[in-house]
Amino acid sequence: MPVEAFVLPKSELGSFVAKLKADYEVFGPVAKGPKFVFGPVEKAEDMRLDYDTTILPPKKYFHQPEQDLMNFSGVADVAEGKKPVGKRVLFGVHPCDVNGLLSLDKVFLGSYPDPYYKELRDKTAVIALNCVKPCEYGFCASFNTGPEADVGFDLSLTDIGDKFVVVIGSARGKEMAAGLAPAAEEDLVAGKRALRACQHDMTRRIDVGGDLGEFLHQNFDHPVWMEEKEKCLACGSCTAVCPTCYCFAVKDMVDLSLQKGGRTRMWDSCMFYEFSRVALDHIFMPDRTARLKQRMYHKLTYYQQQFNATGCVGCGRCVATCVKHIDPVDVINRIQENPLPAKEVTLYRPPVKIVHTEVNPWEPQKAVIKAIKKQTADVNTYTFEFVDPQVRDSYTYDNGVFNLISIFGIGESAISISSCADENTGTFDHTVRAVGNVTKALAKMQVGDVVGIRGPYGFGWPMEEMKGKNVLLVAGGIGLAPLRGVIKSIQKNRDQFGNFEILYGSRTPDGMLFTDEYEEWRKIPNTRLYLTVDYVPPGVEWGHNIGVVTTLFDKMTSRKENTIMITCGPDIMMKFVVLDLLKRGWSPEQLYVSLERRMSCGIKKCGNCQMGPVFVCQDGPVFKYADIMNLPGGVF
Amino acid sequence: MAKPKIAFFKFSSCAGCQLSVLNIEPVLLDVLGAIDIRYFVMAKRENHEGPYDIGFVEGAVTSPKELLELKKIREECSVLVAMGTCACFGGLPSIKNYSGFSQKELEEKVYTELWDLKSFPAYGIDYYVKVDYYLRGCAIDLGELVTLIKSALKGIHPRFRFHSVCNECKMKENVCLFLTKGKPCMGSVTAAGCGALCPSLNRPCEGCRGPASDCNAASLARSFVEDLGLSKADVVRKFRKYAGNTPEFSKGAEAV
Ligand SMILES: Cc1cc2nc3c(=O)[nH]c(=O)nc-3n(C[C@H](O)[C@H](O)[C@H](O)COP(=O)(O)OP(=O)(O)OC[C@H]3O[C@@H](n4cnc5c(N)ncnc54)[C@H](O)[C@@H]3O)c2cc1C
Ligand code: SF4
Ligand code: SF4
Ligand code: SF4
Ligand code: SF4
Ligand code: FES
Repeated sequence: MPVEAFVLPKSELGSFVAKLKADYEVFGPVAKGPKFVFGPVEKAEDMRLDYDTTILPPKKYFHQPEQDLMNFSGVADVAEGKKPVGKRVLFGVHPCDVNGLLSLDKVFLGSYPDPYYKELRDKTAVIALNCVKPCEYGFCASFNTGPEADVGFDLSLTDIGDKFVVVIGSARGKEMAAGLAPAAEEDLVAGKRALRACQHDMTRRIDVGGDLGEFLHQNFDHPVWMEEKEKCLACGSCTAVCPTCYCFAVKDMVDLSLQKGGRTRMWDSCMFYEFSRVALDHIFMPDRTARLKQRMYHKLTYYQQQFNATGCVGCGRCVATCVKHIDPVDVINRIQENPLPAKEVTLYRPPVKIVHTEVNPWEPQKAVIKAIKKQTADVNTYTFEFVDPQVRDSYTYDNGVFNLISIFGIGESAISISSCADENTGTFDHTVRAVGNVTKALAKMQVGDVVGIRGPYGFGWPMEEMKGKNVLLVAGGIGLAPLRGVIKSIQKNRDQFGNFEILYGSRTPDGMLFTDEYEEWRKIPNTRLYLTVDYVPPGVEWGHNIGVVTTLFDKMTSRKENTIMITCGPDIMMKFVVLDLLKRGWSPEQLYVSLERRMSCGIKKCGNCQMGPVFVCQDGPVFKYADIMNLPGGVF
Repeated sequence: MAKPKIAFFKFSSCAGCQLSVLNIEPVLLDVLGAIDIRYFVMAKRENHEGPYDIGFVEGAVTSPKELLELKKIREECSVLVAMGTCACFGGLPSIKNYSGFSQKELEEKVYTELWDLKSFPAYGIDYYVKVDYYLRGCAIDLGELVTLIKSALKGIHPRFRFHSVCNECKMKENVCLFLTKGKPCMGSVTAAGCGALCPSLNRPCEGCRGPASDCNAASLARSFVEDLGLSKADVVRKFRKYAGNTPEFSKGAEAV
């Protein structure tokens, strides 16, 4: 099909924009000192269509620096954070940025579509402006994301001197172009020629002559990364200005009534030290090299693995904004000059799982606390029931998945479900250690109090895979919570599983969970429970093993043949459990681990839980070790 | 819940932070409705003895007399807040620590009556006592002050984001002072929270909020010299101005 194209003489730009203004709010590139930004446009002359690039990309109009998710007044009154927006046109978007939006679409409109982003995207028309001159730092031609936009616009313009060639990209675009004269063959040729010349003039390029992802995976330990780390200021400017960066943090704010407030997401950055911080100030990526690599790898390969979308659209903003001139093109060139020896690598592609919900995925459902049971000094098990009977009746979950528990005005916490998926009673349990703001506030609540809950999220334990096999369950501390459902499921369906052994370790005897259920577990046929503690305080009676949980491996009867091992506990414990079993000849295919990371969304949007190309919230939290063992940067 | 009892104290400082506390007018009445200010010499005539629920301390500690007072304050306050960069890191008074003069020389330079003066190097108050929260900045950010008060009322920990000022500057789409105008802006290594106040007014960040988390001051110091042509002495002065006592900014001062 021939492209549908028109021409817009530059002399008529004024009336064209004036016509748009009748129906739309218009935004376009305007000067800010010696630089440019996207801003409101009153008339065509306000715009600088000769701009090179803008400080922030147009993502600021869709994935806004701050976006209200929920407004609330106590628990009773909760509303969506949407603000009404009218119809808009973004005029003069360069192809890199058009493609940047297409990549963001995969994040925000794929699984669990984000209603706020969607609304802004639906209401906003995009008029692309193809590039007839390379910008200083751009390298879009490397990724085919410029200098011409192929898709993702309502209209596209190409400057051919005294007029623009206008290509129609959508029905909405066609309406906007009504009244324009059709393009002549020579106009189209002139447009093509201008774009080819631009492509030719673009000297900055990433081209490794093969698969960029494989190349990067092979050079994960290249000395270049240490050199860049020495320079990098960890300022995060590069991610703020990147048209495809999506990461955000979520924060609750209240007014002085302490009741009324809002839950807001705000841009975050993997370059920040606090990015991976969880409770008790544990930080998963404290090292700047790891963070710098997270950024570069995310842009250049992980994004592709995660969303099958371009992570870097070559806009050059991260280079233009970096006080230290850290530049992906330069970094790749330097690696290419002196690459590490090639080796076999496989790029992990997480399983594709697209979830579409009718409701706003940010909206927690009210759930009432039906019972509270004290487990240890700082751990309680809470039994919840959804207030809305329809929600209650339709709610199902798998063993090992989690919910986000929300206390308005304080925040949300990811907590595993500790009841059993096979016991559908209309209620479910969470076993929670009080460590920080949300969990301590929960600990102060009483039966009858109401919290918000959304979920369930993620992949749980491989119950199907375990059927017909022996099961070895290894837990540490609070890590027993997400495994309790498995124990109950095996108890309920005992004949479906083989030999079953539970190895449970805790720092001290008084830190053990579910102690009143051990008798019952021991009574499950063909099942053994082994307990261990690191330390027994003087005067405390303890009739079981002392030592880390791996010391139980010599005592257990479980053997690697036809067995699945499932484990949850502190990272360091799981690390030694896995290493020890591998040393004993177990295969990574039979080991399953449940991981913890910072989580601000649970729905593959905030990026906080990323571990290389993996989202722990949706691709996990339970992983087959074989799938993730070769992730660049490792697991533990 | 009973209104928390609040006290404000001042040590070696310019009183600017206390003054800005008095400036929270838009929400002042609401705040006053929620708290009970028991001690605030600058603001009220009637002041009461401790104990207090929250004590805000402004200023660095620079004399034995102040130190004794600080220790007493710590005992009287359940929660102690270092209010402003002087109390957090030593602030402007700490410039003297790196001036190259001895304490005695400094005292003679500054004061004429020396008989009752004994001063020692200026440090943030956590050099001497445990501090629960820090309100950084010269002067403090009122938004953060109000957040801290609300958090205390709610019984939660406030979450301040101590990433770089650069990030806030980008949100405002300011033209970068370092890269475009060649000005020695410290925003890239300075903790955010001020909303990139100075760069938004076309003034380079002076680092008044102290180091951002995991900042790389040494690298910025090298750029000051190599890219902007600052002298070694200038670089040292920049990093020793507000938070020269911190290990992070010390690395900047010592890098060139
Ligand atoms: C999949 C999964 C399952 C889990 N299951 C359980 C379970 O069954 N039981 C259980 O007890 N725990 C569980 N956890 C851990 C639990 O999520 C945390 O303990 C909980 O989130 C702590 O929240 P908090 O508000 O009480 O702690 P806080 O420390 O107050 O807040 C923690 C969160 O606040 C943010 N934060 C903290 N400090 C800062 C800072 N200085 N700056 C900016 N942001 C900050 C981070 O986003 C952090 O994640 C699980 C975690 C995951 C990921
Ligand atoms: S902009 Fe440059 S210095 Fe700042 S975090 Fe990014 S790479 Fe590092
Ligand atoms: S990584 Fe840099 S060049 Fe690539 S899209 Fe982001 S800002 Fe542009
Ligand atoms: S993890 Fe990726 S998307 Fe998130 S801030 Fe870093 S580079 Fe950007
Ligand atoms: S920009 Fe820098 S000097 Fe200015 S208020 Fe902020 S931290 Fe202080
Ligand atoms: S992406 Fe937000 S928690 Fe995983």
